[in-house]
Formats: sequence, C-alpha cells, structure tokens
Amino acid sequence: MKQSASPAAPPTPTPARPRAPRAAVVVVLAGLMLAAVTIASIGLGARDISPLEIVRILLHPGAEGYNGDVLWTERIPRTLLGLTVGAALGASGLIMQALTMNPLAEPGVLGVEQGAAVFVVLGILFLDTSGVHGYFWMALTGSAVTAVLVFLIGTRTNAGSSTIGLVLAGVAVAAVMSSLITLLVVRDEAVYAHLRFWSVGQLTGRGQFLGQVLPFALTGLLLALPLGRTLNLLSLGDETARGLGIRVERARLASAAVAVLLCAAATAAVGPVAFVGLVAAHTARMLVGADHRWSLPLSMVCGAVLLVGADTAGRLVIDHGEIQVSVMTALLGTPFFVWLARRRDLVRM
Amino acid sequence: MPQTHAPRTDGARDLGRASRDTAAELRAATAARLRGAHRAGVRRARLVVCVLVLMLLGLLAASLLLGGVKRIPAGDVLPAAFGLRTGLADYVIFRIRMPRALAALLAGALFGLSGALYQRLIRNPLATPDIVGISAGAGAGATTMLLFAPAVPFGTSLAGLGGAFALVATVLALSGRGGGVDTYRLVLVGIGLSAVCTAYVNYLFTVAGQHGIAQVMRWLVGSVNDATWEGVSTLAGALAVCGLCAALLGRSLGGMALGDQLALGLGTRVGAVRIATLLVGAAAAALATSVTGPIGFVSLISGPIAIRLVGADRSVALAVPIGAVIVLGADVLAQHGPVISPVPTGVLTALLGAPYFVWLILRRRQGAPA
Repeated sequence: MKQSASPAAPPTPTPARPRAPRAAVVVVLAGLMLAAVTIASIGLGARDISPLEIVRILLHPGAEGYNGDVLWTERIPRTLLGLTVGAALGASGLIMQALTMNPLAEPGVLGVEQGAAVFVVLGILFLDTSGVHGYFWMALTGSAVTAVLVFLIGTRTNAGSSTIGLVLAGVAVAAVMSSLITLLVVRDEAVYAHLRFWSVGQLTGRGQFLGQVLPFALTGLLLALPLGRTLNLLSLGDETARGLGIRVERARLASAAVAVLLCAAATAAVGPVAFVGLVAAHTARMLVGADHRWSLPLSMVCGAVLLVGADTAGRLVIDHGEIQVSVMTALLGTPFFVWLARRRDLVRM
Repeated sequence: MPQTHAPRTDGARDLGRASRDTAAELRAATAARLRGAHRAGVRRARLVVCVLVLMLLGLLAASLLLGGVKRIPAGDVLPAAFGLRTGLADYVIFRIRMPRALAALLAGALFGLSGALYQRLIRNPLATPDIVGISAGAGAGATTMLLFAPAVPFGTSLAGLGGAFALVATVLALSGRGGGVDTYRLVLVGIGLSAVCTAYVNYLFTVAGQHGIAQVMRWLVGSVNDATWEGVSTLAGALAVCGLCAALLGRSLGGMALGDQLALGLGTRVGAVRIATLLVGAAAAALATSVTGPIGFVSLISGPIAIRLVGADRSVALAVPIGAVIVLGADVLAQHGPVISPVPTGVLTALLGAPYFVWLILRRRQGAPA
C-alpha cells in the first residue's frame, strides 16, 4: 500500500505517529491476542488435558507423566516455533510490501518460499544436508536467488502495472520451482512422499527444530526492528529519500536482505506457508497506519498470532488428525488476497 | 495501393475514362490480392495442419514403439494397437501404451482448445484456464470424488466439471466490478482461488491412505501414467462435444473480436456467447484435468503459437492439434527422454511453459489483442 505524501503536500520526513491513546489500545490488544493464542495453543489439542493439570505441569517442569511429555516436548516447543516463524513471516511480508510498494507482495505469493524449498531439496539430495541448520543456509541461498529473479522479471513486465507484473512473475517462478522439486525427487517414492509433507508447510513434529532455527530468526527479527525509519523514508520515493540524506540503494539492499533472511529462516523451519505475511502486514497497517516504526513490530505480532491461531484451529477442526497450518493460512489468507485484488486502486496502481 | 498512375495531360475526357479504368483496375487488383491473401492463408493453414498431423503420427509411433519391454516385434505393434493380438503385445500395447498415448493426445487437444477460447474471448494471453484457476478447481473436485467415492462411474469427470464451473462462477462474481470484468483482476482472483484449491489438494494428500496417495499425486503434478480406455473415451467424447460447440461459437467469437458494440450491431448476442464460451472452455479444461490432472501451461502456449502460425482467425481451431502435439511430445520426452525420464508429464510442460509465460509477460504490451 502506497501511502506516501503526494508531491504537493509539505514534505514530512515521517508519517504522523499514531495518537498515544490509540497506540496504547493497540499494544494492549496485541499483547492480549498473543497471550490468548499462546494459551490456546498450549492448552488445546488432540489430547484433552485439563487446565488445572496444565498449570500443575508448568509449575513442576521435572514432573513425570505422559501429559507432561506431551506438553514439554510437543506443544510448548511447537507453540514457540509457531510464534517465531509467524513473527518472521509477518516482518518479511511488511518489508517486502514497503520495498516494492506493492500491497500483494509477500514471500509466498512472490515465490520466494518455493525457491527456498527447491534449494533445501537440492541440499538434501546432493549435499546430504540435514537438520534445520543445514536447511537454513540452503533456504537462504534459494530465497536470495529467487527474490532477485522475481524482482528482475517483475519490474520489467508490461502487465498493466508493476503490482501485477510482480505477482505474475512470482507465480511463474513458483511454478518452475515446484516442478523442479517434483523433477528432483519423483523417482524415489519414499523421498517424494517425505518431501511432499515438508513442502506442505506445517508445524507438526517440528518442535525440536526450535533451538536450531531460533538464532537465525531472532537475528533477523532484531535486524528488522530498527528498519522502520528507513522504510518510512524509502516510501517517500527515491528522490525525497535521497534529499533527506539516505543512501537509497544501500538501504533498499539491506532491507531486502533482512526480508530474505527472515523468509529463509521461516521456510527452513516449517516449509512454505503462504499468506501470513500478506495478512499480517495489512492488519498491522490498518491498526496503526503507515508509520513503519509502529507497523513493523505490530506486523510481527500479527504474524505470530495468525500462525499460532491457524495452527491451533487446524488441530481442532477435525477429529483424529489435523489440518496443516499452511492449508489453514491459505483458507484464511485467500479471501483477504481476493479482497485486495478487488480494490479499485490496485489494478491500475 | 498496388500502383499509381501518372496524371494525364490529354483532355478531361481521357482523364475521366482513365480514372474509371483506374478504379476498376484497383478494385480488381484489390479483390485479387484479397483472394490471393485468403488463398495463401488457406494454403498456409493446410500446410501447418499437415505438418502437425505428421508430427502427431510420428509421436504416436514413438509412444507405442519405445519402452522397456523389447520383446514385442515392431510388426505386432500396429495390430496390437487395435486389440488384434493377444498375450504380452495386447497387454503392453493395447492396455498400457495406446490409452496413454491417446489420453495425452486428446487431453492436449482439449487444453489447447480451452486456452485458445479463453484467450480469444478475454483478449489476453494470460487468461487461460490454468492461470485463472479452473484447472485447480477441477482438480479439487476430481480428487475429492476419487478419494471418497471412487466407484461412481465417470464420477471424477463429473466432479471435475462441477469444481470447474463453481470456480468459473466464483472468479467471475469476484472479479466483476460495476459491469465490466477487468482482465488483470480476473487473473489475480484466479491466482488466489487456485491457491485455496491447491492447499485443499495438498491437505488431501497428507490425509490420503497409501493407495490414495498415488491417485492424489496425479492431481499435484499431472500425468498420463494410469490412463485407461475409460479415460480415453471420456476425453474423446469431451473433445467431440466441446469442439462442436467451439465451432458453432466460432463466427460469433470472430465478430466479438471487433469489440462488443460492433458485435452487438452485427446481431451477435454478446452476453450469451460470452457465457457459452466460458462454459465450453471450462468444460474442456475440466474434463481433461479430471483424467490427467493439471498439465500446466499447455493452454497458455497453444493459442499464441497458433496465432503466430496462421493468424488470429483460425487460431482456436489450430490450437487443438498444437496442444495435442505439445502434450504427446512432452509425454514421450517425459517417458524416454535422456537423463530426466521418467517424470510426470506435467513437470515437463511446466518447465517448458513457465519460461514462455515469463517471456510473454515481459514482452506483451498492455491491451494488445491475444
């Protein structure tokens, strides 16, 4: 969403900060939502564990018992992983939208996650990569290569507007990437089945990766937090930003690198999950407006709430089984994507 | 203008006669040129069709002759293809290779037809059934039927049709705004909805049992591996019906290429033709998808190739054999190509088609007719 000041307007360096009471409400609300999904994700699942027992287990970490194992080895790591990955995707989505000035930009829609997935598969097949640590470096390379590719194609199209050109480029690149995955693994049915499960992004059984992915994701999130001001300046347009003393190319490159890092960490941990970044970024902007110093942290919170909420919902909608979080986010995110695509100002942006 | 005459100086009478002569000459010359152009067009179209038919026959022969089992003498292949041999030849050729080759050929023809119809109607080369999400909708319907009610005869095809029509209706309803349907909004909404359908099929893949996984995989990548004669008959029937409908719609579509206003003036019922074309195109894509799974990008490539070869007027008809050549060729390559084989056919068409798609969005100017 392009909400920069028009040339006629007086050049304000940054959009106005939201009024204090509203910001307080949003912060409290975000905290409550975060707490709510965390509690729900820990408390709800295929196995019914009473709230009282959960509290007891949480207070006595060393306690024996099957319920304790379920909580400490599965639900809690899974919840924390979901929060981390969701925050990474939310921040990545917002940065990509700010950089491309494209409301449909998002690591999944632009095919960056599929690119990461291809490189992870290549690593598994040819370099004996295993574990999230190894996946991460492959995913990072793949994300970077794909991001550059999609951006180069997307900005050179004649497809109506750069918004649509970028999305079409993402769709084409994602199609090539997913058929490359199939091409690489199709001859071995067992590997294929395994990778299909990986390439349907999900949190199930990924809890033990938390420790491996956390350093990368936290680095990315910490690097992203101070970017708000830079993104504000970049959104004023190259000329204005340059006039205000910012090195536009370097700032762009640094922001894009952080977005790719976040996306790679998320994809390495749980596989491609589309639409989280899209929805989180728009929700954050709707709540606090265009100031990226506010919307960037909020986008992380929204992403975390969305991913963990979708994961918890996926565990509950059907008996004896669960729906993968990427399927749930597609179900939630698509109406949003369609709604955005229907907006009048978008198609001829 | 074929020629210009120098002005004459010998009197007004001569001038009058000369200009009458000139006009007549011009008329005759123009008519001759048009006839010539038409004849040249027909000759060119005939030549192209001949070449395509030869390619199809060659690919068909390759598809029947090549294979792991070497014990079938080449002389037995032709009789076996028509079910006139027994034993191994009958099993390999008539039960496996022949239906596979025919399914690839017919599905390709249907994909080509549906793509060209949509491209001609919407006048945008990107607006094909797989980009707009119709193949994904058909895949979602067909997979559901296959997993939960596999015994219903022609159930997958009917469910595929249902899914496709539901998706067309949704896409149109969501991308219409104040009367007109914006092409790019159509494409974006289609991309969004096909993401839902793909997520749904992905979900089915993870819950399907061991037997179901093989079935669902076909809808994830598109292949003609398990083609049967039932599938072939579905495809043949679909091609006959959809081809006939497309032929009936052809003249009206030609009129609509001039623009809605002019077409209305010429007596075309624009709204009815548009709906009919959308339905025929969706049915062709859905029935092909319900047998083979989504073989991506064929519907996208066929139409523009046809236009390049013979021009827009005959492109819909020509996209049919072109689609057939593409899918059959991709299948032969996918089965027997060096290094890569065997892979599902859809993988190859996506690998070949997606770069073309990129080239298309890089070079098309906005608003240029398909």
